[in-house]
Amino acid sequence: MDFSLTDEQELLLESIDEFAERYFDEDTIKAMYENHDCPDEIADAYRDAGFGYMGLPESVGGIDTDYLTLALMTERLYHKTGCMTPFMTAMLAMKDIADFGTEEQAAMIMERYEQSGRCVAALGISEPAAGSDNNGMTTCVVKQEDGTYVMNGQKTWVTNGAVAQFLLIIAKDESPAYENNKYSMWLIPADSEGVSIGYLDKVGQQAISFVDVFLDNVKMTEANRVGEAGKGFYLLMKNFEFERCLVVAQGLGEAQAAMDDAANYVSERVAFGKPLAANPLVRDLLVEAETILENVRTYLYKCCWMLDNGQSIRSEVAMLKRYATKGCTRVADIAMSVYGGLGYTNEVRIGRIWKDLRGNEFAGGAVEVMSYIAGREIVKKYKK
Amino acid sequence: MKIVAAIKVVPNDEAISVAGDRTLDYSKAAQQISIYDLNAIEAAAQLAAANGGSAVAISASGSKAGDAKMKKGILSRGLDELFMIADDAMVTADSLTTAKALAKLVQDNAADYDVIIAGDGSADVYAGAVSVQLAAVLGVPVVNNVTKIEVNGSVATVERTLDTEVQTLEVPLPAVLAVSPEIAEPRIAGMKDILAAGKKPATITDAAAAGAETAGVVAVEEIKAPVPAPRKCEIYGADDVAKFAEALAAAIR
Amino acid sequence: MAKALVLAESVDAQRALAAGARTVADEVALVVVAGAPETGVADKAYDIQLPAGEAAENAYETVKSVFDQVAPEVVFFEPTASLKVIAGKLAAAAGSAIVANITALEGNVATNAYFGGLAEKKQVASGVAFYSNTGALFAEAAASGTDEVEAVAFVEPAQKIVLKGSNPVVLEGADLTKSDVIVGVGRGFAEQDQLKLAEDLAAKVGGDCGCSRPVAENLGWMPRNLYIGVSGVEAAPKAYIAAGISGQMQHMVGVKNAGTIFAINKDANAPIFKQCDYGIVGDVTAIIPEIIAAL
Repeated sequence: MDFSLTDEQELLLESIDEFAERYFDEDTIKAMYENHDCPDEIADAYRDAGFGYMGLPESVGGIDTDYLTLALMTERLYHKTGCMTPFMTAMLAMKDIADFGTEEQAAMIMERYEQSGRCVAALGISEPAAGSDNNGMTTCVVKQEDGTYVMNGQKTWVTNGAVAQFLLIIAKDESPAYENNKYSMWLIPADSEGVSIGYLDKVGQQAISFVDVFLDNVKMTEANRVGEAGKGFYLLMKNFEFERCLVVAQGLGEAQAAMDDAANYVSERVAFGKPLAANPLVRDLLVEAETILENVRTYLYKCCWMLDNGQSIRSEVAMLKRYATKGCTRVADIAMSVYGGLGYTNEVRIGRIWKDLRGNEFAGGAVEVMSYIAGREIVKKYKK
Repeated sequence: MKIVAAIKVVPNDEAISVAGDRTLDYSKAAQQISIYDLNAIEAAAQLAAANGGSAVAISASGSKAGDAKMKKGILSRGLDELFMIADDAMVTADSLTTAKALAKLVQDNAADYDVIIAGDGSADVYAGAVSVQLAAVLGVPVVNNVTKIEVNGSVATVERTLDTEVQTLEVPLPAVLAVSPEIAEPRIAGMKDILAAGKKPATITDAAAAGAETAGVVAVEEIKAPVPAPRKCEIYGADDVAKFAEALAAAIR
Repeated sequence: MAKALVLAESVDAQRALAAGARTVADEVALVVVAGAPETGVADKAYDIQLPAGEAAENAYETVKSVFDQVAPEVVFFEPTASLKVIAGKLAAAAGSAIVANITALEGNVATNAYFGGLAEKKQVASGVAFYSNTGALFAEAAASGTDEVEAVAFVEPAQKIVLKGSNPVVLEGADLTKSDVIVGVGRGFAEQDQLKLAEDLAAKVGGDCGCSRPVAENLGWMPRNLYIGVSGVEAAPKAYIAAGISGQMQHMVGVKNAGTIFAINKDANAPIFKQCDYGIVGDVTAIIPEIIAAL
């Protein structure tokens, strides 16, 4: 086993450090959380350094990158900034279009990204009555007599939904019935007639817009469809495994940022005549946090390695997501305890990180759903 | 058109610590391109791009600077080739010895240069002396504090920003130009740049193999951290402005 | 009998470096390229007749002729941009290196900062020693000399830099080396508008504003002549108030001789709090008005 990084990975991470240091300070980050968006300067710089093309296939003008490297750069960006950024979620939506769409669709989104540096597409899956239970979806596309299509329904928790130029919507074919499991993916301009959005006020992660999307008689043609008819959800699931890895990488980075602050604070803060670091209870908290970080990191890297080697990680990534997102919240919680009352104020960034990380327990599939997936697989695995 | 960026690789000063005997401990300090030399590299890359030429790097640094990662790091920033002396004798080499070593690299590998761009000063000594002495050894003109460069044929028109004036100067080429950081913001190297850098040529040797002298004319006797002036370090919270202001009032009385 | 050559531009540096040269040499020659030499500070002054509109660097050959004539064992020079060029070339011609920005000189052992003041480097130059210093090191030394001034005719150089034009930079702010109290502005100020607070505080304490290098160079909020630290101003005020300054050594080396150091920073972990006499944890925009009110 070799845990060392390549020169290229190390240099890439150093470039991420330069990017984080040059463009992110606490005031900028606070503004991002207030405006639910990142400054143009930052989006442009991310694109200009080529980071936004990583993970997209070379055939469409992207930079082929292994999953481990993508996870490493995500972890580092979140670690060094201590905040949420829209870039990786934006890349995943572009990747879905590049992987499953036509050449024209892929070329169009790449051109849009090149021009704007901004999130091109936001993915709409969840609905008010269909979160973990996908079949509860009622958004539906009906073919018209003239060969065009009309979409009706509502999507919720659409990440980047307020800033994306396109929406990538999963909808049922023809009938909204619970039993219907034929889905297709549709790519529509965000400003299409019949599309409107409503803002959701999240507890954390406010740097990234999060919206309801209302679809009211949205007219489409066959050219809007991405991938094969009826196979939309099946296709998307292919990218779910890595999406969960990225959620973990993001959380790991932010949790590490909280740990950096807290584990340094114990040497600075004096209580009862000694630095906090001298208190065995405080040390125990730090040991617990560091152990979680180490475990999450090692397990994340292993999952990425398996993906890079063509192995399915359906069960592994479910267990990773369940353990890691709860663990990372615990790390931020520990950091808050270490800071004491100060940690519960907005004078330090721990509270913001804590709220971000709590949200990751839902992102990409709730931890309970992860238990459901992994539990089923474990029973199968051990049954004699 | 051929541009040469003259750079130094140094330990990351933020990770240098002071040992008990007040000597410097570099064990945790990774090698990095000296901070203002990043601007010199960017200026060289931009000048070469603007004039349709190539830009190469030269460096006389310590032996730890000579690894594959540093080579890729340097060449990922818009330069085409690297010629480096990686030799511990160069770490604290005096300005003339360093200038002669760099001149040797230029003469052997980039004798057809038009412009050599150096940084404002290195992170370790920050003297701005090597660039001048390199020009002297090569017998070419030199301008320091340069904040803008335009090349027309065999003449460079440069802007030089001093404390009291901004001069416009014409310099016959070839020449050495020492640039201030404002000249160009260093690019952030992306994965494509990093991968491409691995395929670019580099020649990294010790001083002897490069034919550079290391004897030197300034002998370093000792490098030690100063005993810091004792400061009181009385820190107040935001609700104790009165005590802080009282101390301030006493100090300026 | 040791001979020293002094190359300086400003009146203060001419006087101080000549006085410093006197501490190690019996005979001191002063060479001034741009402007008039001070009298009474050296045994002989050489006034280079630089034609109007000529770049000072072009006087290298002329200065070299004086250098050859004097044949000094030691050269002190003020590290201005032009004199760095002239002295660097003189040293190269003499087979010498530059020992820059010396902070101490004991016999032939010169000290200067290493890694921005993290350490001090002690070194001995062989051959002709070339030292640069702003004059601050020898501010206390007494200068003595004659009124003898020799005008030196300008020698046309083989390679010429042509000065095509010059735009004066209007000097804003004070000469910080002479300030009693300095308010140092750092990146803790989020917007340029907030600099008014620093100015108000400076006015209240009878001081001047300076800044860290990024505030002058990256943000461009203050002129370059006001940044404190390595490559910038070295100041020794009675009181230094570091406002929103993190305390990087590259900055702090510029105020290491300050009498009392005060720090205002919202980051309780900022390194400045280990290098100050009095610190207060809080945002500059909140704390400064309160300090002004309390004074």
